[in-house]
Amino acid sequence: MKPPGADPGAMFADLAVRAAETVSRLRQARDVQVGCSAKRPVWSCGKTTLYQYLPLAEAARKRGPALKPLLICFALVNRPYILDLQPDRSLVRRLLEAGLSVYIIDWGDPDESDRRTDLEEYIERHLGGSVHHILGSHGGEALNLLGVCQGGVLSLIYSALHPDEIANLITFTTPVDFHTPDNLLSKWVRHLDTHLLESAGNVPGEMLNALFLALMPFRLTQQKYVRLLAGGGDQGAIEDFVRMEKWIFDSPPQAAAALAQFVRWFYQENRLIHGTLEIAGRKVKLGDVRQPVLNLYSLEDHIIPAAACAALKGHVGSRDYSEAAFATGHIGMYVSRVAREEIPARIVAWLKAHR
Amino acid sequence: MENPFSGTAFRPEAAFAGAAERFFELLKTFGMPAVGQAPDWASLAAPLAGQFEQWLRMSQSAGPWLAAGASTWPGMPGGFAAAPGVGSFGALPLGPAAVQGNDAQRTFELLGRLAQLQAQLAAHWSEIASAAARRFVARLGAAGGTVPTLENAMKLYELWVNCAEEAYAATVHKEDFARLQAELANTSAALLVEQRRHTEALVRAFGLPTRNEIDALYAQLKELRSQLAELTRAPRSAGAAAGGEAAARRDTGAARKRARRGAAQPSGKAPRARRPRA
Repeated sequence: MKPPGADPGAMFADLAVRAAETVSRLRQARDVQVGCSAKRPVWSCGKTTLYQYLPLAEAARKRGPALKPLLICFALVNRPYILDLQPDRSLVRRLLEAGLSVYIIDWGDPDESDRRTDLEEYIERHLGGSVHHILGSHGGEALNLLGVCQGGVLSLIYSALHPDEIANLITFTTPVDFHTPDNLLSKWVRHLDTHLLESAGNVPGEMLNALFLALMPFRLTQQKYVRLLAGGGDQGAIEDFVRMEKWIFDSPPQAAAALAQFVRWFYQENRLIHGTLEIAGRKVKLGDVRQPVLNLYSLEDHIIPAAACAALKGHVGSRDYSEAAFATGHIGMYVSRVAREEIPARIVAWLKAHR
Repeated sequence: MENPFSGTAFRPEAAFAGAAERFFELLKTFGMPAVGQAPDWASLAAPLAGQFEQWLRMSQSAGPWLAAGASTWPGMPGGFAAAPGVGSFGALPLGPAAVQGNDAQRTFELLGRLAQLQAQLAAHWSEIASAAARRFVARLGAAGGTVPTLENAMKLYELWVNCAEEAYAATVHKEDFARLQAELANTSAALLVEQRRHTEALVRAFGLPTRNEIDALYAQLKELRSQLAELTRAPRSAGAAAGGEAAARRDTGAARKRARRGAAQPSGKAPRARRPRA
């Protein structure tokens, strides 16, 4: 007697049914919402908007001694709503539950009028303007800064240039050494003509997406979909999947000047490590980052290798440096079990210890 | 490379359907012998490599990072694979006087170079496909016949993906591949710049504003907005400063800071001012 499904014909028939059902479920989930916590715009500059998340009523009732406001500086190359994707997958929600006052920068969609917007403008005017608005609103002298991915690089620079405005710095999957041997992205862009890149104008988000997907094309463009066939058909799981898909493929265009500078200064010239970066005519030295620093990164990151992030320890000027590495990938830092349970708790505990 | 945003709307089911279709093709190539039949894994390598190479060429024809972007970078010709070297570039159809012969020559040179680079890239895809198939067959060698169930099909597939990724990584980390990628990107960007240069010449001929002129206007507008914002903020700051001793202290600090930063600002950029704290 054959085991169930031992006939190849039966297996293909089963797969065909599963595929049809999965297509239907994905279609139903197409309009799933992303972003869950209430927020309001409080300041803007160019295409950049600073949002303040509204405090949760429950958290407000049990709030202890106030912590400094926390500003989240996300990457230019992705949308920040990944940090607040859905109620059970939201770093922002966990921070609000802990009673933190949370702000986030959304860089918006640069258009042709922004093609000459450079890193100095993003750092000094957009990030700096956001910092000043928050400090103005809260009346304090310094705030806590959480820099995510590329936003962590901008945050490191700002913290080095304006140490009196940043009380504590958290870097989250932030590359520091761009020339570690396992950095495939760095190898690929090392020989790019960045002046030509800048002349060609803003870079569409789709182009960067294609670049990121090409780092592991079979897993990222094939396997993750095929695995849905083996899933149990839970519509909730399908909706979770579609939310992630929305975020992954919803990338903003990049201002030509800023992207070209980022590639040249960091991926090609590794200026943070060499101490050769200048912003607004001022030298940027990681040794000038003397605030308490918490460095969080993933061990299985295919975009930003762990070694690229861990390099911060050897270059930062802070005497109060701590780090935590998590056994997950780049995306896992936002939505995995680690992201739900360990990372928010770690951030909150560290901030409470650094009031 | 298909993605859920292919076309005009977000369609995750389309990306899934494409991957599922290739999965089915792969299973057919695997053969999935029925119980009792001995698998002939050795004969699998050639068709598997062929199928894989075809997918690589289709999905990454212009290089990993230009595959999707080629059709979306404004003005960039899409579908390099379908017609290498023959995109929307070429003599612009608005009159030969508008584009000089030398300009057209430069465009054709770039197109020729792009076709050469794509041929080199195709050789890499071929190498990756063969290496992946060899790895897969070698690892299957020890395995016996598999019962054709979904679970076993998924195991085979996972093994195949592992082999494919390993073979891919072994090639794409190499210096020659990285240089080829960069040259593809640089040549594509040069083509785009060239095309825009032609367009600039044309719009000048028709008395229309050029990209450079519009950029200059944008820059001027931005500067004016910035100056206006500074002017608007100044009286408010003064009012806030007069409102209380604490506020005055803060403003003094802010002014000192502004002065320090002002000295560091390059010419043409207004120093940043802290917004009123009221």
